[in-house]
Amino acid sequence: MSRNRLCAGALFLALAAAPQRLNAAQAVSDVEQGKKLFQGLCVTCHGFDGAGGEAPPLNRPRLTSAPDEESLRKVISQGIPNRGMPRVRLLTGNELRQLVAYVRSLSQTPQPAPRGNAERGGEVYAKAGCASCHIVKGQGGSLGPALTEIGRLRGPQYLHQSIVDPAAVLPRGTLAVPGRGFTEFLPVLVVMRGGREVRGVRVNEDVFTIQLRDATNAFHSFRKSEVETIRKEPDKSLMPSYAKRLNARELDDLVAYLSSLRGEL
Amino acid sequence: MIHRFGALSTTVVLVLAMAAGRVAAQVPYQRIVRAESEPHNWLTYGGTYKQQRFSPLDQINKQNVSRLKLAWAYQIRQAGIVETSPIVVDGIMYLTEPPSTVTALDVRSGRTLWTYSPTIPSDVIVIGSPPVNRGVAILDDTVFVGTIHGHLIALDTRSGAVRWDIAVGDNKQGFYLTLAPLALDGKIVVGVSGAETGIRAYIDAYDAKTGRRVWRTYTVPAAGEPGADTWGPSSWKTGGGSTWLTGSYDPELNLLYWATGNPAPDWNADDRPGDNLYTDAVLALNPADGKIKWHFQFTPHDVHDWDANQMLVLFDAPVGGRVRKLLAQANRNAFYYVLDRATGEFLAGVPYAKQTWAEKLDAKGRPIKRKGIEPSLEGTLIFPNIQGAANWFSPSYSPRTGLFYQGAREMGTVYYKGEAEFQPGTAFLGGGGRAVNGDEAWGAIRALEGTTGKMKWEFKLLSPGFTSLLSTAGGLVFGGSEEGNFFALDADTGQPLWDIQVGAAVRGIPISYAVDGRQYVAIAAGFTMFVFSVN
Repeated sequence: MSRNRLCAGALFLALAAAPQRLNAAQAVSDVEQGKKLFQGLCVTCHGFDGAGGEAPPLNRPRLTSAPDEESLRKVISQGIPNRGMPRVRLLTGNELRQLVAYVRSLSQTPQPAPRGNAERGGEVYAKAGCASCHIVKGQGGSLGPALTEIGRLRGPQYLHQSIVDPAAVLPRGTLAVPGRGFTEFLPVLVVMRGGREVRGVRVNEDVFTIQLRDATNAFHSFRKSEVETIRKEPDKSLMPSYAKRLNARELDDLVAYLSSLRGEL
Repeated sequence: MIHRFGALSTTVVLVLAMAAGRVAAQVPYQRIVRAESEPHNWLTYGGTYKQQRFSPLDQINKQNVSRLKLAWAYQIRQAGIVETSPIVVDGIMYLTEPPSTVTALDVRSGRTLWTYSPTIPSDVIVIGSPPVNRGVAILDDTVFVGTIHGHLIALDTRSGAVRWDIAVGDNKQGFYLTLAPLALDGKIVVGVSGAETGIRAYIDAYDAKTGRRVWRTYTVPAAGEPGADTWGPSSWKTGGGSTWLTGSYDPELNLLYWATGNPAPDWNADDRPGDNLYTDAVLALNPADGKIKWHFQFTPHDVHDWDANQMLVLFDAPVGGRVRKLLAQANRNAFYYVLDRATGEFLAGVPYAKQTWAEKLDAKGRPIKRKGIEPSLEGTLIFPNIQGAANWFSPSYSPRTGLFYQGAREMGTVYYKGEAEFQPGTAFLGGGGRAVNGDEAWGAIRALEGTTGKMKWEFKLLSPGFTSLLSTAGGLVFGGSEEGNFFALDADTGQPLWDIQVGAAVRGIPISYAVDGRQYVAIAAGFTMFVFSVN
């Protein structure tokens, strides 16, 4: 189905689902009102005009979790809690219709072709040694986030930034642990009494204890009252920047490769 | 000091009753009035009518709390959020389980004596909170529970058999009950939830023997009534003002104190100009007829969902050179208030958590609001968050230290304004919010001077939680965390003295009691009621 036919179908569904017959002007108004709602509720994660960011881009003809209008209504109404998408607020039927109309309209905007080549990007992934810390399709190390379905979870811009400046985009809300919006893979330096230092990423924490994984992927558990200092470093990442290790084309190719990873094992 | 006469007094009462040829009522009203004289029991929601959640027991204290151990545990039958505050009477614990179940346990063994679950319709409407229950009331030989389908049910204390069952509000309209009822002299007082569906809320009193309604006081005045001019022409009809948390009572002044919730719709005030009385307020009522004696509104014209349904704690303390009868509340809007509970006079008010919505309180306690705090289409970041700096969870006041212990939530929300569309029994919100959570939010347990709100110490928590607190004559403050820590702090300094990881967020409300000469501390967390003691 061509993109235009799909959009025409979506518009038909919107008309059929509305409580009263809508004219074309109403449909345009819905998109405009929906854009205002989107810029308040959605833009932080999904990016300006739905171009993607910490959350996936929405300007694609087929949304993974919302391939049709009904599923899009459901996703907006209920969120996808296990993927970090909250239900930001309850919407009236009117607001929901407007937001759905706008999100569906995003795919009508012609999208630039991906700048990189995913196949070459796979070679960059191998050459750069990414697999030493990341699992893709079951293969690789587990120090960093698993990337098997990273293309479903993150937009290209976010992926690019996470390669050149990993500390700027530490993930949050994607894992069950520590959960509740806490930063994941947060670098922490623990200084023991006596001076020994342990550096790692936070696995979990409560009021009295903290659990880390160090660079060798070993677990450490500390009772806070028994160590000298605990320093959280939200402006750092255990992952090095690849801004100078890869050239611009390699970066684009790597982003294209990561964007192609959609959960297949 | 442990009082060992609990079991003895029961025996004596039983013998006397048998001699008289009848069984005496188990918990007559006068026994609740004098609850402080029997600290081995926990006779009403906050321990006494003052709702201080303070235990005079001191067997568990600063010296031995490090040896606190699990005595027994009880597993909740149905998964859900457990926010119960148990009642303990003469060796029996009455607790509630989600959504509206009542269970009686033997406090010596933790074994179940009876359990009762009302039939909840599958299409029950609960909009505005999770389907929780915070506890029962007991009076004479009857236990009273409010339900999420809007009923008040009276149960026999010995068997759990239903004595009566009445509808407090129409659940089809969005009325439901989560609070522990309050038992007065022959009456059971309850409030309702449902502002998020645009109900017009009220406080009701029912005859404890029959379930007949004695009085009803609306929290939103109708057209022509005093205060109606603080609403738009018809917005009072859907004005909210829920009454979903247990009130307090002063038998000497014969005044009942009840807090009210947010106006509806929550985040869009276009159709409700004015202060929106009596939302986000405390009402002092005559318990005989429900007439309002005085009121104090904490958040006039609320647009952030800052219900004033936090505990109203009563204590007497010197202010301005003389001992006064005080009412204190750490409000959801992040200010701590002290009022004269005889007159409603504002005596003190200071922020106890970060707030960005008010310049200050004026001399009468009215907030001077900042510009640009209203929810908007693009979002407006304001502190405190939607769930507030405080919420339903209980603070504690210790008459030994004069300190008001409060769990404080340091968190902001991006508030959004939206459409408000009233249809009975559906969400009537007009917006919402996005919490600023994770590592950017945190919490604390703060000890405030009771008469001024000045902070004496704080104990930091990893995240803003929903921790209720219990202070004791043993010099301890018990509290919990969202990460599953349950702990005891030094009531004078805030230093942690004992803690345990219980495996799930601590949402239960702690109490203390004694039986057979041993003090216990009870707290629900996750799906379990934990009871601790020192060997």
